Amino acid sequence: MKNQLRILRAEREWSQAELSDRLSVSRQTVNAIETGRYDPSLPLAFAIARLFEKRIEEIFEPDGAVNG
Amino acid sequence: MERATPNKSRTGRAALTWGIIWMVSYFGARAALEWMGNAQPAGPRLAVALIPIVPFVAFIWKFISSMRQVDELERRIQLEALAIAFPLATVLLMILALVQLAMPLNPDDWSYRHVWYFLPIFWLGGLSIARRRYQ
Repeated sequence: MKNQLRILRAEREWSQAELSDRLSVSRQTVNAIETGRYDPSLPLAFAIARLFEKRIEEIFEPDGAVNG
Repeated sequence: MERATPNKSRTGRAALTWGIIWMVSYFGARAALEWMGNAQPAGPRLAVALIPIVPFVAFIWKFISSMRQVDELERRIQLEALAIAFPLATVLLMILALVQLAMPLNPDDWSYRHVWYFLPIFWLGGLSIARRRYQ
């Protein structure tokens, strides 16, 4: 899943450590989300969206179309 | 969705401390049993053999507490480490069982006291692989 986390963090001039503090997760978690290696849980995705005052779909974007 | 705070770090340190005490008690019990020899009655020898269970229970209690306090990625890493370690442990025991049927194994080389070392090694290996994946 692609995301805008690194861009949003850079806009606010926050370090990964600062963002991890605000989200109450480890810096490794922030880094893994930014690099696309880890997709956050729904509660964490909501916390990220709330922090940046955006909707989840404005931050996270699926890699491909979801078939259902 | 939690990260390490002083309280969580304390729990992790407590788990590590109890882990070290457990290891020391294991090697202490092993040395004591070798020193006692077979001449001693089975009762005291069994009591010495069971001593490491006490620090192990404390260790596992603190370890589980610390796992409940880490964030979701760390839990994922721990799960993936176990997903690697558990099948490896199963394969090791299965192969040893078959080899034992095929040929006599020297108990001085392949008894329980030799084989259990592989289990934490598999877990640490799994942990290393899982951590690298999310770096």
